[in-house]
Amino acid sequence: MLTIPSTIPLLGWSWNDLLFLVLTGGLLGSALMVVLGRDIIRCGLWMIVCFLFLAGLYVLVGNPLVAGAQVLIYIGAISVLILFAVMLTQSKAGPARLVFHHQAWAAALAAIGLAIMLVIVDGSTSWPLAEPDRQATATSEVASRLFTDFVLPFEVVSVLLLAAVIGGVFLAKRDDAPRSDSDL
Amino acid sequence: MTLLTVLLLLLPVAGFAVTALIGRRLGTRSWVPAVAAVVASWLLAMVVVYGQLSGGNGDAGLQVTLYRWIPAGAFTIDFNLAVDNLTAALLIVVTTVGMLVHVYSIGYMAHDPGRWRFFAYLNFFMFSMLLLVLAANFLLLFAAWELVGLSSYLLIGFWYRRRSASLAAKKAFLVNRVGDVGFALGIMAIWSTVGTLNFSDVFQLLPAKLASGAIQPWEMTGIALLLFCGAVGKSAQFPLHVWLPDAMEGPTPVSALIHAATMVNAGVYFVARANPIFSQSGTAMVIVAAVGIFTALLAASIALTQTDIKRVLAYSTLSQLGYMFAALGVGAYVAAIFHLMAHGFFKGLLFLDSGSVIHGVHDEQDMNRMGGLWRKLPVTHATMLVGTLAIAGIPPLAGFFSKDEILGQSFKAGFLWVWAVGIGVACLTAFYMFRLMGKTFYGPSHVDSAVEPQVHESPRSMTVPLVLLAIPSALLGLGLGLPFGAGAISSWLDPVFAPAEATLGRSPESFSLFGLDGVLILISVTVAAVGTIAAMRLFGFHWPFTARETAPLPDRVAALTARLRPLYTASYHKWWFDDLNDLIFVRFGSRLANGAWWFDRTVVDGTVNGTGRLIQRTGREVRQIQTGHVQNYALGIAIGLLIVAGGFLLLAGR
Amino acid sequence: MSHTLDAYLVVSALLFCIGVFGFLARRNAISMLMCIELMLNAVNLTILAFGAFVPTLQGNAAVIALLVMAVAAGEATVGLAIVIAIYRNRRTPLVDEYAQMRD
Repeated sequence: MLTIPSTIPLLGWSWNDLLFLVLTGGLLGSALMVVLGRDIIRCGLWMIVCFLFLAGLYVLVGNPLVAGAQVLIYIGAISVLILFAVMLTQSKAGPARLVFHHQAWAAALAAIGLAIMLVIVDGSTSWPLAEPDRQATATSEVASRLFTDFVLPFEVVSVLLLAAVIGGVFLAKRDDAPRSDSDL
Repeated sequence: MTLLTVLLLLLPVAGFAVTALIGRRLGTRSWVPAVAAVVASWLLAMVVVYGQLSGGNGDAGLQVTLYRWIPAGAFTIDFNLAVDNLTAALLIVVTTVGMLVHVYSIGYMAHDPGRWRFFAYLNFFMFSMLLLVLAANFLLLFAAWELVGLSSYLLIGFWYRRRSASLAAKKAFLVNRVGDVGFALGIMAIWSTVGTLNFSDVFQLLPAKLASGAIQPWEMTGIALLLFCGAVGKSAQFPLHVWLPDAMEGPTPVSALIHAATMVNAGVYFVARANPIFSQSGTAMVIVAAVGIFTALLAASIALTQTDIKRVLAYSTLSQLGYMFAALGVGAYVAAIFHLMAHGFFKGLLFLDSGSVIHGVHDEQDMNRMGGLWRKLPVTHATMLVGTLAIAGIPPLAGFFSKDEILGQSFKAGFLWVWAVGIGVACLTAFYMFRLMGKTFYGPSHVDSAVEPQVHESPRSMTVPLVLLAIPSALLGLGLGLPFGAGAISSWLDPVFAPAEATLGRSPESFSLFGLDGVLILISVTVAAVGTIAAMRLFGFHWPFTARETAPLPDRVAALTARLRPLYTASYHKWWFDDLNDLIFVRFGSRLANGAWWFDRTVVDGTVNGTGRLIQRTGREVRQIQTGHVQNYALGIAIGLLIVAGGFLLLAGR
Repeated sequence: MSHTLDAYLVVSALLFCIGVFGFLARRNAISMLMCIELMLNAVNLTILAFGAFVPTLQGNAAVIALLVMAVAAGEATVGLAIVIAIYRNRRTPLVDEYAQMRD
């Protein structure tokens, strides 16, 4: 039986660190693919990959419940929704046309600037270190907080979801009767 | 007496108002209100004058204050009139000549459809002139000064449809205005120095201030010269003389009244009135004398060659006015006013005569197309001869007395150059006046053959004033000027000018007929005779009451002209003063004005319009930010966030 | 490394900026929505990271992250519905051809 060494041989890192690196590398790489990809469907698929890596990171942070919710909701619902919409709005010209604006370069500069600023802020603040023996968040704890401290936001979010569903259905439904006035 | 004075002033205004309002409807009778007003005014004036000259009003003369015109705290001006001996002398001339001119105009303007306007303007002029003579403070006099200028403008341009007439009227007004600027500045200087504008106060305070050293001599000279500017403009002295010859565009009665007998004398009257100021400044006096005698010479030299009968008389007026100013400049105040009165009568007579001639030859004014008229226009001829003798200075007519007074006084006061030039001008005067007589009345007739049979004497309404004017032209000298140096005129006017003469250190000298004075008289008479005889020989003459005639010698004239060709040309072209004025003011001035217009258009308007255009362009550029694309706006938000947060970061880190 | 909060925050910052870039630069409306999801996920990661390292926040963090996820779902729904509705009218999903707001 092979025993897993406590740290990575040769590098001396902990296994957590390696996992972290892998996950973040994949995360950022797939995010880049989402943003820079030519074909929208490919972008959507790369987004799904990104969400998967994020789920992994959530587990690493100690929240397996949220990771599960991530997979269910984001990958299972939202991404599918997005892909449906993509397929519904494909124009005949296809993906050969320009993907980026004229302002893409300015946008890149703005984004890079923002990133630099955030990193600087982050680096110049002293953050607290982790407890060495923290536990993963227990579901029961989440549940109790959800229905006591956060019951109001919970209800509000449910109403929001209801409204979103109704609104979405209404907005996207096909008009049967021809309209005399066209105000759009 | 107060009431009479006020009435004599206001009657012409009433006449003006009535004639202006209903004159047109009166048709041929439109002269009635105007003439009636002036005749009544003359009667009242005679009463007032008699009252004043006989000493009825005391030393200060008659003072009338009508009402407070400008009550402005420290600055108060009243509408006040004063009648002293000087005013009385002027009143005689103004009202008499004015009345006779009004009567004369009845006949002269009989065929003119605008005669109601003419009489209205004439009455308005009479009012203005009377106000000028009666005024007792500088501001009122200045107002009357301007009103007289206005009347002159209206009357010169009476035949307004004639372009030359309206141009002449404009010229007269503008040139007058130039003088008035100096005049106004002088009045302001007086106000700022003594704080009052009443004659009596100013004439006491101003010399006192000079004596006490409160003002410098140069300031006094400055004030005097500024006031003199106005006189130069109004009385058409050099260099503002250019308007008077052109003013002959007006009807002849206008020329007679305004430009011979009354308005142009306003300058002389004013300088005489302001003698306490002028006598304080020797420099100013010399300048006045110099300007005067130079104008006399200049005008006489031009009159030698002119062919328009009225122009000759206009230049003659300029010349005689020059004499008057020369007299004022040398301190011979009494002589100047005496000459003013005499000149008013005989020049008025001469102008009305010329009008009669023009009327007789059907509006022909060129002397080269007259001649031989003495037979057909007997009354006109006789009266004109009287006037010519008077102006030439032949004794015993009026001109001799007054002119000789001036020349004698200037010699005795030490102004030999004034005397010498004056003698020369006297010779020239006699010459050109008899030239005028010769060309107009004597010799063969050059009248247009179509007009010739219709040449006729003027109607009674015109000839009666002529005769009436001839009487004082002949006799005024004898009446007022004898005995020499101590005649009635002296007794009238000496009190007025006594303070000035005291300042100048003159004492009334005795007259010695067989001494210096006699010699001077002999010289001036000889000179006048020489000029007369020369003109008679060259241009022809008819000895009155005889059948003897001297024929003109046109060949001799032509030979003389050829020999003096450069002088002749200069004289004929009025020494090119009008051209000089045109060049400097009109051409150069219009170029300057065009330059200013360019500047206004390009720079000023360009700036304003350019600003507008700049803003428009900027707006158009800035508008491009509104693309309508949400992502552009989002990018803006992101960049803004970067800037703000980055700014905070930098500031917090500092 | 993974025991410091810094790293997690840097990662989520980078993810967020990638999302910003994509949002501002892509022409397709649905791409923009995908980038919005990326940004929301970055925020989620931040919240959970804080929850991991600050003990008093541990339970709250999970709840908040769940709620954020729910809201994101609702937002995606409505957004996509709008895009589809516009697509029906304009026949194009490209945002720079929706220029009605310009004049």
